[in-house]
Parts: sequence; C-alpha cells; structure tokens
Amino acid sequence: MTEEKLTRSARLSSWFDSRLGLTYSLLRPAPRYSMNPFYWLGALTVVAFLIQGVSGVIMMLYYVPSPSSAFASTQYIFQTVYFGRFLETVHLYTAYAMIMLAFMHMMRGYFVSVQKKPREMMWVVGMVMGFVTLGFGFTGYLLPWTVVSKSATDVGIGMISALPSVLSSAILFLIVGAGGDATELLRFYDLHVVVLPAVLLVLLTLKMYMLEVHGIAEPSTGQPSDASAARGLPIFPDVTFYLLGLAAMFGSAMLLVSAVFPLSLPPEYTPQLAAQFTPQPDWYFLWIYQILKISVFEGAGLPVALSLVTLIFIVLLILPFVDRGQTRKIHDRPTYVTLGLIFVAELIVLAYWGLESPGQIIGTEEAVLVLGGTAILVGVASWAAYHFLPGHGGNHAVPKAKGVLRTAVGFVSLLAGGATGIGWLLNSLVRLVVIGPSFSNVFELILSCVLLMAVVPLTVLFLYSLESRNGSLKRRLRILEIGSGNK
Amino acid sequence: MKPTNQIVALLLVVQAVAAIYMWGITSFWTLSAGGFAIFLAIDLLSFALIAYVYTHEKWGEGVNRAWIVAGSAGLIILLLASLYLS
Repeated sequence: MTEEKLTRSARLSSWFDSRLGLTYSLLRPAPRYSMNPFYWLGALTVVAFLIQGVSGVIMMLYYVPSPSSAFASTQYIFQTVYFGRFLETVHLYTAYAMIMLAFMHMMRGYFVSVQKKPREMMWVVGMVMGFVTLGFGFTGYLLPWTVVSKSATDVGIGMISALPSVLSSAILFLIVGAGGDATELLRFYDLHVVVLPAVLLVLLTLKMYMLEVHGIAEPSTGQPSDASAARGLPIFPDVTFYLLGLAAMFGSAMLLVSAVFPLSLPPEYTPQLAAQFTPQPDWYFLWIYQILKISVFEGAGLPVALSLVTLIFIVLLILPFVDRGQTRKIHDRPTYVTLGLIFVAELIVLAYWGLESPGQIIGTEEAVLVLGGTAILVGVASWAAYHFLPGHGGNHAVPKAKGVLRTAVGFVSLLAGGATGIGWLLNSLVRLVVIGPSFSNVFELILSCVLLMAVVPLTVLFLYSLESRNGSLKRRLRILEIGSGNK
Repeated sequence: MKPTNQIVALLLVVQAVAAIYMWGITSFWTLSAGGFAIFLAIDLLSFALIAYVYTHEKWGEGVNRAWIVAGSAGLIILLLASLYLS
C-alpha cells in the first residue's frame, strides 16, 4: 500500500515536473557550504523588498499624495481600514529590516572579500542598490505628512542646498520640483512607488545575472576540502526550499515584532507645530545627522561635512579598486578588517549619539575625543585579537572556529569583568576616602568586591576547562601570548 | 513511519490548524491584528521547520534535534502569545 502510494506521489510529481520543467532549471546549482543564512542576506533583503511591495500596493489603494489629504488618508488606513495599522507597521519594520539586512550584506561581503576579482562590478551594483534602498527610506519617510517626517525631510532638503549649486539645483529639481509642498510630496511619492522600485528591479536583475555568471563566492579560506561541502545542490527543490524556509522565518519574525510593537502615528504637520519640534532623521540617517552637528561643520563648514559624507559613499562604491590585495583570508587582511570594524563602530556611536542628543551642537574637541577614542579602542581590540588569537601570520595551525570563538569570548568577558571590577573598586575607594562613607559608596565597594570574587574563580574554571578539553594548558595558553610564535 | 516524517506530519497539522484559525478569525469573532499576525507567524514558522527537515533529510545529514526543539518551543510561545493578545 505504501509502495503504491509512493509510486502514485512520484508519478504525480513527475507529471508536474514534466509539464512545468521545475527540475530543468538553467540556473547554476548552489554549493552545499552556501546553505548558511549569512550567504543569503541579500536574498533576505529582496524578501523584505517584496513584503514592502505587497504592503505598499495595498496602502496605495487608500493613500492620497497631497498635503491636504496625505495625513488624513494615512490616519484613515490606521483607524478605519481593517488591519490597516498592522499593515503600516509591517511596511515600516520591513523597511528597517531591509536597510539593516542590506548593510549586513555589505559588511559581510567586505569582511570576507567577495568584492575581489571577478566580482568587482557585483559590489558596485550592490552599492548602488544600497543607495537606492536609502532613497526608499528618505522618500517614504515624508509620505505620512506628520510633523516628524516633514520636519526631518526639510532638514535633509536644506542640506542638499549646501552642495555645489549645479548639483544641488539638479537634485532639488528632481525631488522638489518648482517648489511648494504639493509638488514636493508628489515627487517623493512618484520616486518612492515608481522610479526607485523600477531602478531597484533593473539593478537586481543585473546583479542576479552577474551572480549566475560568477557563481556564489567560495569561503574566504578557500574551497572546502570536504567534497560533500562543495557539492552542488539543484536550485529546485533544494535551494528553493532552503530559501523559502529562511524567508518564512524572516516573515515570521517581522510579523511577531509588528504584533508586539504596533506603530503609532505622530501628529499632522503644521508650520506652527513644526516650529516647536526638534527635527531628527530616522535611525539609518542619524550618523550623518550627528556628523553635521559637530560645531566645526556648522555654517560655512557644512559643505566640508557633506563632502566628507560623499567621500565615504564614493570610497564604499569603488572599494574593490582600492583594496586590490590578492588574499581573501580575514587572517591575512588585518588593516582592512580593522578599518571595517572601526567604520561599523563609528556608525553605531554616531547613530546612538545622534539619537541621544537631538538638536544639540557637538563641540569639536568632544567629537574628536569620542570618535578618535572609538577608533583607537576598536583598533587596539582588533590588533589584540590578531595577535592573541591563533592563525595570525601563519605560525599556528588554526583550531576549529568554535574553539577559537569560545576561547576569545571567555577571555574577553573575563578581561572586561576583571577590568570593570578593579576600576569600580578603585573608584569607590577613592570616593570613600575623598567624599567620605555613604550608602552608595559602600554599596559600590561591596558590588565591585563581589564582581572580582566572581571573576577570579571563573578565570580558574576557564583555564581548567581549556586544560581538560585540549590537553596541555601551556600549549593552549599560547593563544593568549602577545605575538607568540612556536616556542 | 520515520521520526522525521512524523515531525513533518505534525507540523503540517499545526500549519493547517493555524491557517484555518487565521482565516476563520474574522468570521467567528473579532481578534486583534496582533492575533492575526501571530497565527500567520505560526504558519510560517511551521513551514520553515518543514523546509528544514525536508532539505536536511534530502542532503542525508539528518536533522538537528536542537533546532526542532527550539522551533517547537517557538511555536508554543507564539500560541501562548496569541492567547494573551486575544
């Protein structure tokens, strides 16, 4: 009976296959090692784009792109359309996810050097797609016509005016037109729902074509020696089902976040209300916002700041032609990896700082200290990682990744815990002597002692676990030796 | 029946129940958009688990029990969350 059923199902599947040609895909098979979510961050970005498309088209049925009706129609979606608020929430959160995934896709590509020969143009096209994604964010933000969105967009448009006159006139003509709120909103709407999606689809097609020509990049450590890891998997059904599973998990996460944190609509834009409001861009533009708030870039310095931001984008765009080294291994690229880490850290620091200090002008010395300090800290941490961890310089056999990660996390956590405990202890002792005993001083003293008392036995346990798992403790401890060689 | 086939059969049942429930929500009683989202999420998560079992079985690697347990725990948490939201 079972055999008969199997045969029937096999016959059914064969019938569909012969009619639809599902297994006769011309697409290149994907290697088994690429069945890892990090290889498919770009695909997940496309999934986010598709969810945006579907939710956006439904919202287009109700939205009216005119200053007098934009807010009212958005409010109508929120309050009257069935599950309209949920739809708006999903649209916004998937937009955030799309930007974040695109950024992660870019940084992952940078760290594992996928941009190197022969994939330079894939990187360039991908970067342009990233700019278009940011364009989606910029144009879409204005559409609800709230005091938050309109004020932030006006700041953005004001910054464009500081560009060289030919460039600023061209951009302003494109996005604002002859002037006036009505033209501005209509242009933004057209860009958001027609021009940018069309451009993105063309670029996506181009990138997919190049991916098909060059194939998925092999790991930065080279082709796996294990033949089963390098074997090709057919696009249908293997890769298709794998990707559908990933997309389902992503969609599930988006739905859950939208259900738990539903969006609320800020008040409608009026010039009077905007005058009382400190404009602040959405999180993905906060780093630029914070750079522009540094006092040296105020007023006449604005073009310099804008040139700096433009330069960052240009360097990102032409990166494959800057980083021309042959090796793709992370171990052999300390300079570029460190620069990448500093770049990510600076973006996070600037964005967080921008979020916490809306409208405040930042002193130049303070900015140099914070940004310079971040760069130095990350640089030193990266240098330490390159020297403490095995595999650097080819002197050591590289242990399994999990072992390295566990050792590194354990070491860094204990070091951070110990340093915090000592710093805290010294601080509370000094305050105890200088200011005198108080409840908070004594409490801090006790807490710091507890922390140190926890760190010491944990360090012993950590070293013991290394010893018990890997044999000679002395051999394992070479990981922690600065610039160690094989002695 | 192989254990993996049993898992897939169970997940298909969960998926079917979630789908029927989800489409029946508006007909039977008013439920928040959050409840709708969670039943849709249950559907998607169970599909993701089925895809995981299918692909790894096909590749001859067997399924990792930890993922199945984590996925099932996720489904239970979502079901409880749907009760809370409704």
